[in-house]
Order: sequence, then C-alpha cells, then structure tokens
Amino acid sequence: MRVTAGSARRWRNPATTLPDSMDVYEVFRRGGHKDPFEHCGSVIAPDPEMALLLGKECFLRRREGEHLWVVKRSAIHSFEDESLLEIAADKSYRFAEAYRDVVTKRERARKRAQELAG
Amino acid sequence: MSESLVAVMTALADDELVLGHRHSEWTGFAPHLEEDVAFSSIAQDEIGHATAFYRLIGDLTGTDADQIALGREPNQYRNATLCEQPNGDWAYTLARHWLYDHADDLRLEALEKTAHAPLSALITKIRREERYHLIHADTWLKRVAHGPVEGRNRLVAAVTDALPHAVGLFEPYELEEQAIDEGWLPVASKDLAEKFFDAMTEALDRLGFPAETHSRPDQRAEFVASSSGDLIAGEGDGAIGEAESASAAAGGRRGQHTAAFDSLWEEMTAQFRAHPGATW
Amino acid sequence: MTYEEKLAHFTEHIQLGGKVEANDWMPDDYRGGVLKFIEMHANSEIMGALPERECLPAAPSLRRKMSLCAKIQDEVGHSQLLYRVAEDLGKSRDAMYADLVNGKSKFHNVFHYPVKHWGDVAIIGWLIDGAALVTQAALLDSSYAPYTRVLKRICAEEQLHLRHGEDITLELASGTTAQRDLFQEALDRWWLPIIHFFGPRTNVAKDLLLAWKVKTRTNEDLRQEFLDRYVPKILELGFTIPTPTPYHDEASGHWLIDDDDIDWQPLEAVKRNEGPETQRRLARRREIYEGHRWVREALAEPSYHAA
Repeated sequence: MRVTAGSARRWRNPATTLPDSMDVYEVFRRGGHKDPFEHCGSVIAPDPEMALLLGKECFLRRREGEHLWVVKRSAIHSFEDESLLEIAADKSYRFAEAYRDVVTKRERARKRAQELAG
Repeated sequence: MSESLVAVMTALADDELVLGHRHSEWTGFAPHLEEDVAFSSIAQDEIGHATAFYRLIGDLTGTDADQIALGREPNQYRNATLCEQPNGDWAYTLARHWLYDHADDLRLEALEKTAHAPLSALITKIRREERYHLIHADTWLKRVAHGPVEGRNRLVAAVTDALPHAVGLFEPYELEEQAIDEGWLPVASKDLAEKFFDAMTEALDRLGFPAETHSRPDQRAEFVASSSGDLIAGEGDGAIGEAESASAAAGGRRGQHTAAFDSLWEEMTAQFRAHPGATW
Repeated sequence: MTYEEKLAHFTEHIQLGGKVEANDWMPDDYRGGVLKFIEMHANSEIMGALPERECLPAAPSLRRKMSLCAKIQDEVGHSQLLYRVAEDLGKSRDAMYADLVNGKSKFHNVFHYPVKHWGDVAIIGWLIDGAALVTQAALLDSSYAPYTRVLKRICAEEQLHLRHGEDITLELASGTTAQRDLFQEALDRWWLPIIHFFGPRTNVAKDLLLAWKVKTRTNEDLRQEFLDRYVPKILELGFTIPTPTPYHDEASGHWLIDDDDIDWQPLEAVKRNEGPETQRRLARRREIYEGHRWVREALAEPSYHAA
C-alpha cells in the first residue's frame, strides 16, 4: 500500500513525427443549441486559430455542426487506469430498469385499496 | 455454518454500513458541490459492500440482509468505533476516510485469500471500487496537507483524533483464532495492524507530518510525533501529537460502542423496527 | 449598432424561436431575469436535497438507503449543473451560495416544510418530483440554450426519480395499514404546498420571462397538467385528497380546483423565507458553509509544497 502519486494523466503528443512548433488539437462540434459538444477528431496545427480553420474543413464541411471547439491535447487529462470508470458493485437502483415492474405493483396496490374499501 | 466466519464477515459488514451511514450524512452538505456528488457515491459504495457481506452471512445463517443490518440490538454490532464517530468537520471526515480506506485495503488484500470462495469472489469485486476510494482519499489528503495553513492544521488535529480509533479496526475479531485455524482468515489482525501503522507513518512523513509509530504487544498503539517545525514559519507546528490511549478505541469488535453509536443506531433502525415484517 | 437596434434584433430573434448562448449579446433585463430564474432553480435543487436528506438516516432497508442516497445525489448534481449555467451569466457560485444561506435569495416553497417519516419520501419522490418534472419539461424549449442542455439531463434523471418515488408509494399502498397511514398522513400535509408549487395565476401581460420565451407556459396551465396526470393515480390507490380537493369536470374532462379554494396565505410566509423549516435549514447550511471556508481555500490555492 502506498499513497497514490497521482491518478491523472495528461495526453502525451505522439511526438515521433511532430515538429516542435506543432500540436495536436482535439476537435469538438455541436449540432445545434440543444445538443452537447461531441468529440469528432483531431488536427495537427501550430496554434488554436489555425486548428479552428483546419478543424472546420476536416469535420464540419457537410454542416455536421453549427459550433466548433478545439482543445490542445496536452490540456486534456484522463485517468491513468480507466478501469476506475467501471461500476463494480450493484448500482442497479441508479437505472430505470430497477423500477420496470411498476405495472404489477400498481395492480397490487389497487387491489389492496379495493380490499380495504370493500 | 461456521461461527467464526460469520463473526469476521459481520465485523466487515458493520464497519461498512456504519461508515457508509456517516458518509451519507454529508449528502447535500459537503463543502464543495462536486465533492458532494463524489462523496455520496462513496457512501453508497460502502453501504453496497455492507449489503453484499450481509447477504453472504444470510446465505450461511438463513437471515435476511435487512434484518441483520437494521434488526439487531446495539451490542450485537461489531463495527470498530472509528466508523461510528460523528462526522465532525470535513477534516475529520477526510482523516477517517483516509485511515479507514487504507486499513480496509490491507485487510481486503489479505482476506481475498480466504477459504470461503464466495467471500473471496466478493472481495475481488469490492477491491475494484475501493481503489477509487484510496485515490480519492489520497488526493484530498495531499491537497489539504500541502494547502493553506488552516486546513493543514485542522487535518493534523483530525488525524490525531482519528488515529486512536483506527487502532480498533485491527482489534481481533471474535473467534479470530478459530477463523485462522479454519482458513477463513489468512492473516491475523495484529500482523495487519503493524503493516498498517508502518504504512501510515510513511505516508504521513511524505505528507510532511513526521510521525513515528510503534505497536505494543497488547495491541495498543501509541503515536509519538516530532515537530514538522519549519513547514510554515510562525504558524502551528503541524505535528501529530501523542495520541490518547488506544484502549478507548477497543471494544467495537466485542459490541462495546461509544455513546455516538447509540444515537446513530436509534435513528438508523427505528423505522425498520417500528414496522416488523413490512416490505418497503 | 445602437442599443435599440441590438434590442430590436434580439427581440425578433427570440420571437422567431431563436436561441441565446452565454456569450451572445443580450439585454440586461434578459440576462438578469434568466440568471435569477436559474439561480432559484439551482437553489431549489440544493435545498430540495435537505428534506429527503433528513429521511435518509432512517431509511427502512439497505436498498432504499442506497437508492435514496443516489436520488439526493442526483439533486445535488442538478444544482451543480444549474449553478454552472448561472455562473456563466456573471454571478459567482460563492456569491450565489452566500445569498442563499443568508436568506437573500429564494428557493421553491415545498422545501420549506418539515418531514416526519417514510411517507414524506414517497410524497416528495412521486408527487413533488412529478410536479417538478411537469414544470421542467416545459422549460426544455426555453430560449436560453445552455439551460435547455442541462435540463435535458435533469429531466431524464427526474424521470427515474419519479419511478423511484412511485415505487416507494406503491410499496406503502400495498403494505400494512400503518404503512398506508404514513402515505395518507404525509399527503394531508403536503397537498396544499404542492398546489402552491406552481404559483398563482401568471399575469401574462407582465411576465417578462414569458415574453422572452425563457418560460413557455403559464403556472395555471402547468398545475392543470399535474392535476390531470396525478389525481386519478392517487385516488385509485384509495387515498383521500384533502383541501383544496379537486373535482372531475365531465364537460372538459379535467380535474379542477377552484381558485377560491386555494388558501395562498401559507405561501406568503414561505416567500419571505419564513416557512416552518426555512430558517433551521438555512442555518444548518450556513453553519457548514462558514465553517468550511478553509476547504474552499484549500481547493482554490496552489499547493505550497508540491510533491
């Protein structure tokens, strides 16, 4: 056992082929005002302005979205160990399926009400 | 059915239930909104683990899990007194969460090798969730310990308060020798206690709270700390003071609880007891 | 563009069903109105956690202990989503929280009342969440787009809460007479506050939020939807609805309550933050908030001793 040094990991650029002056930018787009931004890909660019220009044509040239974000990959963090995201024990009460027998229960409660009334 | 196996599982289950109950008292009140959500999950995890342990006990004894959890008399609960202490402030809650989850990690690691296969399988599952608890506790401890002086001082005071009760987590289970002989309990509690205090000492050192610990043969632990002095000039010295006698913390495994447990038990079980046989 | 031109442009945009984003130009009235509305919604979620939180320690089974904790956790999560949206309109979370605990801002009337037992959990989970869902679903088409995006998730979770609440209700309704009494006793206490929940009739001519399409439906319209949906369900379980008791109007098919039958007096006290539990709950929250300034400082400041 030891105190965990840190559970967050930065995305590292796949530095092999990338010139010093360039970065990977992750691209997010949103279809409309009611939708969330969703990741759609990434571009290699020297700065955010260029990343936006490139991202637009790479990922929104068929009107796939009305809004565009780019985020430098090095600004994105993730867990070292993504199995932490699994839900291990029973959390079925967080899901609607846990309450799917509502029709049966309604019927039972109705009968109980009639039985008491009669 | 093995009584010694039931005794071990009851202690584990009661620890998780009572601590989960305390944790859930922060739901809606935690000092940071995002943390409120996170800590509620930890509360649910602990109660969920308790439920799973009670079910295993029920499989052996034929008793319903809710009946075991909510239908016993106070002196039948086997949780360590650490778990029942009131939440106090966020610093105490953090200190206890940190001590408890590191202790829990150690004992579950050992217990995964139990001869009772269903228990072993359950522990494998539980340990996956407990990893998140450890990271959560460590991350908070580090942030507060390395942060502004008030939080740091509060944390030092809280660890000082909680440590004596943490000793009680390693008070031998009822029928412990029998549980070891029968293969249910792979490592004796006192051996785990030593490992625990060594690890905590090292961790506290790394957090800048130098502390020396030694366990005595009679299972009473005493913590002697040196001053961390120069960490924040002119402010409190940030040292873990000598803990009060650990004997105050023993007894939970034999059903002897502190006053805090009485009111917790009353609140937790009253509605269940008021409606015998009802389903909810 | 002059202010008047911008305003005319904005108004036309809204009238045509256009949406507004946080960084769009908007008139101060709109920004202020939306902020206050969402702030109150956020306040209501975090204060709404408390009545159920008071029932949580006494949950009568392990399963209910976890599911109720998860449900309250969702409510706290809703307040987090909503405060984030409100913050982007220009008021810090700290300022909103301080206003809340110091009684300077408002939260929904139903969270000013006491809870006594598990029957309250059934009422809150089924009928109050049912009422909240009716009002929140009506906001899904609000003109303020960031609000609608979080409402999507909130409504989905409220759907689950509704099932959770109905499940608890049905267990009580099917249970012992003592269990049925828990529900009936709670219903007797909660019915009037639930009717108040939707508010008095909307003054359409004066309601700015309606004009800006932040809100899309009137209070009385929403209350009617609630009555039509829930009154038959309550009655078929054999429970009795206290005053103001709805009656069935054969001609329209609606379950109606006459305006004159509603006593608005208790709501006036609640609006002044003088409900039965207002001050006690605010005081508890204030005490924890003020006692934990150090936690916010620990989170906000960079570590002095980076490892």
